[in-house]
Amino acid sequence: MTTERTGWFGYRARLTLSCYALLAATLVLLAVFVYVPVVWAFSNSLYQFEVGGEAQFIGLRNYQEFLFEDAVTWPSFLNMALLTLIAVAARLTVPLIVARFICSLPHERGRYFYRLLFLIPIVVPGVAVQLIWGGLVYAERGLVNETLAAIGLADWARGWLSDPRTALVAVAFVGFPFVFGFEVLIYYAGLSNIPTSVNEAALLEGCTGIRKFFLIDVPMVMSQLKLILILTIIGGIQGFEGLIILTQGGPGFKTTVPGLWMYYNAFSFQRFGYACAIGVCLFVIIFGLTVLNLRYFRSTEELEGAR
Amino acid sequence: MTVARIIGVLKAAALPVILLFGLWALWPASGDDVVTLGPRDYGPEVKYVLKVAPGPMYMPGVEPFGIGKPLRGLADVIRAFEARFPDTRVECITVPVMRREFLITQLSSGQAPDIINVNVEDVWMDIQKGWYVPLDHWLEQPNPFVVEKGDPTAPGAVQWWDMFEYQAISRGKAAPDNLNYCVSFDMIETGIYYNKDVFRKVGVDVPEDWEGFLEIMGKLRAAGYIPLLMIVGLFNDWATDLIFDQLYYEVLPGIDLVQDPTREGYLEGYLDWDEIAFLYEKGFFTPRDARYREVFRIMKDLRRYANKNLTGIDMLREFVTQQGAMLWHPCNIIYRLKADKSLGFEWGVFYLPELTKRTSKYASDTPMCVIGGSAVQFEVTNTAVGDTPASLPLGERMRRSTRLERVMALLQFLCVPENYERIVNEYEALIPNIRGVTPLPALRPFVEILQRRYTTTKWTFTFDLKFSEVQQRLLDLYLNDGATLDEFMELQNENLAYATKNAVLRKRLDLERLEGKWRELAPIRATMEDLPCDD
Repeated sequence: MTTERTGWFGYRARLTLSCYALLAATLVLLAVFVYVPVVWAFSNSLYQFEVGGEAQFIGLRNYQEFLFEDAVTWPSFLNMALLTLIAVAARLTVPLIVARFICSLPHERGRYFYRLLFLIPIVVPGVAVQLIWGGLVYAERGLVNETLAAIGLADWARGWLSDPRTALVAVAFVGFPFVFGFEVLIYYAGLSNIPTSVNEAALLEGCTGIRKFFLIDVPMVMSQLKLILILTIIGGIQGFEGLIILTQGGPGFKTTVPGLWMYYNAFSFQRFGYACAIGVCLFVIIFGLTVLNLRYFRSTEELEGAR
Repeated sequence: MTVARIIGVLKAAALPVILLFGLWALWPASGDDVVTLGPRDYGPEVKYVLKVAPGPMYMPGVEPFGIGKPLRGLADVIRAFEARFPDTRVECITVPVMRREFLITQLSSGQAPDIINVNVEDVWMDIQKGWYVPLDHWLEQPNPFVVEKGDPTAPGAVQWWDMFEYQAISRGKAAPDNLNYCVSFDMIETGIYYNKDVFRKVGVDVPEDWEGFLEIMGKLRAAGYIPLLMIVGLFNDWATDLIFDQLYYEVLPGIDLVQDPTREGYLEGYLDWDEIAFLYEKGFFTPRDARYREVFRIMKDLRRYANKNLTGIDMLREFVTQQGAMLWHPCNIIYRLKADKSLGFEWGVFYLPELTKRTSKYASDTPMCVIGGSAVQFEVTNTAVGDTPASLPLGERMRRSTRLERVMALLQFLCVPENYERIVNEYEALIPNIRGVTPLPALRPFVEILQRRYTTTKWTFTFDLKFSEVQQRLLDLYLNDGATLDEFMELQNENLAYATKNAVLRKRLDLERLEGKWRELAPIRATMEDLPCDD
């Protein structure tokens, strides 16, 4: 077979074009459903706009209202920060510890069993998990209140999700004890990939137990930690579906986050321009945090390169 | 055969068994009793395929509360309609019309069902967009299906309007542009369901006034029951309106600024949003309005006797399991309670008692008003004029559309008493709103309640959805001790300031025109105590 130019249209050019042709459908769909809406959102954020109504250009008025006038904005950012912080702490620690325990099991059969055990809950839809916590754990006569009553602390029973003092913490504790199967698997993969020579060297140097965990294991799974960190932060900023199910952002605005406020403004209050402005602000925050993360939080490979 | 081989065979067999079981579980139920009227294939003679989203109360094929036979009343009437109009087929579909995101996208693209069932107040926000068809033209004309019977005195022979039993509530559903966008198909009313056995055991009786109500709730709580099952949405909607009415009814002669002759006969003294916005500017409903403050003080007293968790609680479950002694609920659960063979207790219904001067010095000493009203409210969407160019104004589309005529014919056909009876009286849930159709006996207590005077205003529907949402959140906070009454009043004041400003801008309200009447009523206000305004 020859790759030389035959006629005016060579093989390489045809190959390139055919690749683009095959990608075209995906690129068009990506543009229509991802990039165009992003640009559209930027544009709409400058308008007072509702579906079916007349759009009125108001410049940066929506941003001004959201950042400086809306009483919900800053408390909602605080809620988001707290929930994200707790989620980051939970997802960076508990699954890693569990993965480490699984790794240290002597037999493959045992390791397989526990991997499977922690993975199975992944198939339960998130909505079902939220409903279980709302309807069974935090309910009027749910697990928490009944347990308190059983141990003689009935006075402590309350509507955990409707009490302004406990609602945010209650939301943050959904999923306790935070052994998330996805994270466990990711960390397990990272820990399994630590070269045997490294583990043996550590053993020879007398670096075992907790010391080894912090000095060897954690640095060696830094790539995984970085990935989970980015995903958790993005999820923390964007996600609000659990809050809709559990509290709808209440009581008051005690569990409202900016994403939820954006949703309400768009679909309940029909303030699409304002909702777009909130969305743009969230985009800027996520983008900024991701850049910071990529720049200052080194992965395993980068750490090795630095050495 | 070895054990290992047996296990292997079982493994291989497990998957097909699971698949077959899943297939069986998902297979649609068969039998003559199930009538769903979902999408079907049609022949070339079918010119109109109308889509109706009747909601769960009448949806063919639905078993109410999972009890008894699937509903078929609406399907039977629709089939009779199709027999009258062979070029028309009607599909009953389930769509999440209560989700605004769904409705907005469907309406903006002209894809919504022709007829939907949502609270008409929820559609008022969008009426200027041409998404909903005003029905006044048809309501003011005779119902052709009544006319054809030949009795000129029958309700509906002169105006379709005349067919409706509860005129006050039906006509009171007119939008602020004075046009009607819904047909109030039936009525729903609330009441306090109470456990008679628990009442007897604790030694309490149905209360005669508000103080007595609080008193019996104290005794029920001391006996270990949740006295009153409530959710925050009920405080936001019903409790606000009822307590507000009790405290303001006495001062209405001094503040009711607009008497619309077409509505006053039904909605005596009703405060519309322009009046509320005007009164707010005069200091009413602000932290310095003692009555408005009192509304929420009394509400907090009531909340002390409700369940701890005001969100996400299954009130009906708490009631039937006898954890709660009383349940504030609409009449649609009658069927559920009656059908429960293992209920194990006797229950009754009473209405909330009136406030007296013992509770508040602002109490008007008037019986509690009605806060229920229309249940199934059918609106006609822009899909019904989908056979005309979308570029035309809605009025022109309405004149040209033949599809719309067929949609209206369907609504008129459903309202004919013998048709309507098959729908509304299929089970005990809703009170008929068509003359000539008798309510089922179990609903009589609620029919009596419906004879009362209608509320002074409906706060959750006065302004936009943001106002209602924020008010509910603030109440949730306040009623759960997350804010003091002072803090609540300040936050609610901000909410009202935003809502009134928005209403004036969006609806181009002319509040100046109310000044004359305001001055005229000054002598009456001078005789009233603790009004927040300076005349």
